[in-house]
Amino acid sequence: MSPPIPLSRADGAAAVEAARLAPAAGPCPHCGTAVEGGGDAFCCHGCEIAAAIIRGAGLEQYYEERRAFAPRPEPVEPGWDRVAVTPDADGTVHVRLQVDGLRCASCVWVTEEVLQRTPGVAEATVSYATGRASLRWDPSRTDLPTLAGRIAALGYRPRALGAADPGDHDLLARTAVAIVAAVAVMGTYEALYAGWWFGAMDPKFAALFRWVSLALATPVALWSAAPFFAGAWSGIRHRVLPMDLPIALGVAVLYVQGVAATLAAGEGYLDSLTMLVALLLVGRLLESRGRRRAADAATALVATIPRSARRVEGERLVTVPVETLAPGDRIDVGAGEEFAADGVVTDGAGQVRLALLTGEAEPVAVGPGDRVAAGTVLLDGALTVRATAVGEHTIVHAMAAQLHVAADRGLAPSAADRIAPWFTAATLAAAALTFAWWYGAGLGVALARTVAVLVVACPCALALSQPLAAAAGLGAAARRGLLLRSAQALLDLDRVDLVALDKTGTVTTGTMTVASADGETLRIAAGLERYSSHPIARAIVAEASARGIPLPSGSDVHEESGVGIGGIVDGRRWTLRSGGPGEVRLADERGIERIIRLSDATRADAGATVGELKRSGRRVVLLTGDHRAVARRIGLEAGITETVAEADPAAKAAWVEQARRDGHRVLFAGDGLNDGPALAASDTGIAMGTGAASSVLVADGVIAIASLAPLLAGMRAARAAGRVIRMNLRFSIAYNVVAVAAAAAGLVNPLVAAVLMPLSSGVIIWGASRVEAAVRRAEA
Amino acid sequence: MTAILILLPVALLLGGVFAALFVYAAKSGQFDDLDDPPERMLHD
Repeated sequence: MSPPIPLSRADGAAAVEAARLAPAAGPCPHCGTAVEGGGDAFCCHGCEIAAAIIRGAGLEQYYEERRAFAPRPEPVEPGWDRVAVTPDADGTVHVRLQVDGLRCASCVWVTEEVLQRTPGVAEATVSYATGRASLRWDPSRTDLPTLAGRIAALGYRPRALGAADPGDHDLLARTAVAIVAAVAVMGTYEALYAGWWFGAMDPKFAALFRWVSLALATPVALWSAAPFFAGAWSGIRHRVLPMDLPIALGVAVLYVQGVAATLAAGEGYLDSLTMLVALLLVGRLLESRGRRRAADAATALVATIPRSARRVEGERLVTVPVETLAPGDRIDVGAGEEFAADGVVTDGAGQVRLALLTGEAEPVAVGPGDRVAAGTVLLDGALTVRATAVGEHTIVHAMAAQLHVAADRGLAPSAADRIAPWFTAATLAAAALTFAWWYGAGLGVALARTVAVLVVACPCALALSQPLAAAAGLGAAARRGLLLRSAQALLDLDRVDLVALDKTGTVTTGTMTVASADGETLRIAAGLERYSSHPIARAIVAEASARGIPLPSGSDVHEESGVGIGGIVDGRRWTLRSGGPGEVRLADERGIERIIRLSDATRADAGATVGELKRSGRRVVLLTGDHRAVARRIGLEAGITETVAEADPAAKAAWVEQARRDGHRVLFAGDGLNDGPALAASDTGIAMGTGAASSVLVADGVIAIASLAPLLAGMRAARAAGRVIRMNLRFSIAYNVVAVAAAAAGLVNPLVAAVLMPLSSGVIIWGASRVEAAVRRAEA
Repeated sequence: MTAILILLPVALLLGGVFAALFVYAAKSGQFDDLDDPPERMLHD
C-alpha cells in the first residue's frame, strides 16, 4: 500500500508531521501529560507508581470522578523523621501538614483514602478549603516519613506546619450567650414597655419581668462583656485610653443602674445593655475571623519542608539533619537541591540560583573556590562544598533575623482608638455638667439625668463604626486574593499614590519558563527530560505539554551532573546541555545545534493591572536588582515606563524611604528575602505568597494567588471601606452629641433609649453591608 | 396569668439549654471548619 499522494510539498510535510504526532498519542493516565505511544503509557516513573498505589488501594474510582489531573509526582524531601509529632493519651501521635497541589475534591478524597488505608493510621483528614491535613497514627506501626512519602507519591507536596492556633472558641461562646440573653431580655422588656404604655400592669408581673431580665443580663455584663473590661484595664495600665474604655464604662453604668432599678422597681436599660454587648461582640468576632484568615494564610506560607544535607564522611555519604552540620564539614549538593550551609566549593561545577538573596532568577555559574550561601538553589551540576558557616551564622539567617526585628513595628491606632480618649473625656464632662445643672432640682433628679447621659453616651455606634466596615473590606479583598494583616493596613491602601514593584516573582512569575523554541526541538528535549526533576527539565516538559506536544519516549537516557543529558529519541542520539545564561542547546550526532531559550515570563495580568493603577492616578515604578536592559524589557512588557535597575536590597529600601520623604505614600510589593528591607520601609508592604516565607513577616499583606490583580482589588476595597467608616464616624458622633443633649435635658427615657441605640447600630451595620457592593461597582 | 409563671421558667430553661449546647459545641471546635463538611459529604 502506498501512502496518499501529497497535494503539494508543504502539505506533504505537514501531513507527515501530523501523522507522526497524531497516532498512538495519549494522555498519561495519572497527570494527563500527552505521551507518544498511547494506551496506558505513563509520562514518568512517578506517575506509574502513583497509579499503582491508587489501584492497589482499590481507589480506581478517583480516575473517573476527578475534575483535574494530578500534578506529576516528585520525590519526597528527606528529613521528615525530624518533624516534631504530638503524642496523644492513647499512645498514638498526631501532626498537622500543609498539602500543596490539591486541585479538586477528588484529589482530597484520594489523598485521605490512601492515608487511611495505610496500616497504622488511625485518622487522616484533609481540608479542601485550606489544604490542611491532620494525621494521627500508631507510631509502632508506621511513621511520618512513610506517610509524607505516600502523599508525595501521589503528586501532592506535603509541608510541616507548627502547632494549631487556639481559635476563637471563647469569643464565639461569649457572643452566643449575649445574643440569647439579648433576645430574651428584649421580650421581657417589651412586656414592661407595653405595661408602662397602657398603664395596667400587675406590679407582681412587672417585678417578675425585671428580675428575670436582671438574671439574663448578669452573665452578659459579667462574662460576655469581660473582654471589654480586660481591654480597658490593660489600656489603663499602659497609660492609653482605648476604645474599650468608654465601652466598659457604658456597660458598667448600664448594669449598676439596672441592678438599682430592679431593686427600686424603677426603669432600667438592661435591654440596651444586652443588645450593645451582643452587637459589639459580633463586630469583634468578624474582626478576629478576618485576622485569623490572614494569619492562617501566612502560616501556610511559612510551613517548611524539613531540610537535610548529605555529609561526606570518609568514603561514604550520610544524610544528616541540617542542624548537625558544623563548619569544616564537607557536603555534597546535587541539581535542584538547596545549600544547607554557607561554604566554599571544593569540587565540581554548576549553576546557582541566588533568588532568595538577590531576588534574581538568572543563574550564576560557580566552580572550585567560589563561595555559596545557604538557602540558594543549585540548578544544575553537582558540587562538593566545605561549610564555613552553619545555622544562625549563615547570611540567610542574619537577613531573616533583621526582618524579625523589623516585623515588630507596632500597629497604628485606629480612627476610633484616636477618638476614644476625647470621647471618654467629653462624656465624663457632659455627665459632670448635667449633674451640676440639675443638682438644684434635687439629688434624685440629678442622679437620674446623669445616669441617662452616661447610658446614651455608650459608644456602641462609634465602636462598631470601624470594625464592621473594615471586616467587610478585608473580606472583599481576601475573596479576591489579597490577605491583609490589619484593618489599618487596608485603610492605608487607599492613600497610596506610588506603587513600587519588584521584578522577579512580582511582575514576573519568578520561575523558569521556555521563552522560545521550535516544536520539534522542544519535543526531542522533552523526550530526554521527561524523567528528570531538574528545574530546566520541568520547564521544558511543562512547555511541551502546554503546546500539546506528546512526549516521545527516550531510550538509553543518562543524565551527567553538571554537564547535561543525553539519549536516543526517534532512533537518533541527542545531547542537551547548558549553553550559557538563559539557554540550553540540543545537539544531534553531527553536532548541529538547536537552541531553547529560557526566561522568567511577565505575569499575564501585569500589564492590565499596571494600566489600571496608572489610570487611578498612581505612579508605578519597577524596582529591581537586575540589569538595566532586562528591567527595561520587562517594564515595557508590563507597561511600566519608570524603572530603577541594579538596586541591591539596601538601595531598594533607600529608594522607598526617599520617595516617602518626598511626600509619597509608597506601596512596595516584592517576594524575596532580599525585598524585606524595602517591604519594611514602605507605607504598605505586600508580599507575594509564592515568595520567601520570611518576607511575609514584615509585610502588611500577602497576595495569596499567582497574580498582581489583588493589589487593585485591595485598593478598591480600601476605598469602599474607608468611605463607609468616615461616614459612620460622622454619624455616630452626631448621634452621640444629640442623644447626650437630649438626655441632659431629661428627654430620654428607657423606651427612647431602647429604640435609639439599636437603631444607631443598625445604621452602622447597614453601611458595612454595602462595602462588597461598592467594590463590585468599582470593578465593573 | 399563672401560665406565665410556668411558661417563663420553661422558656428560660430551654433557652439556657440551647445556649449551653452552643457553648459546648463552640468550645469543642465544631465551628472551626465550616467549609469542608459540605464538600466531604459529596464523596462518602
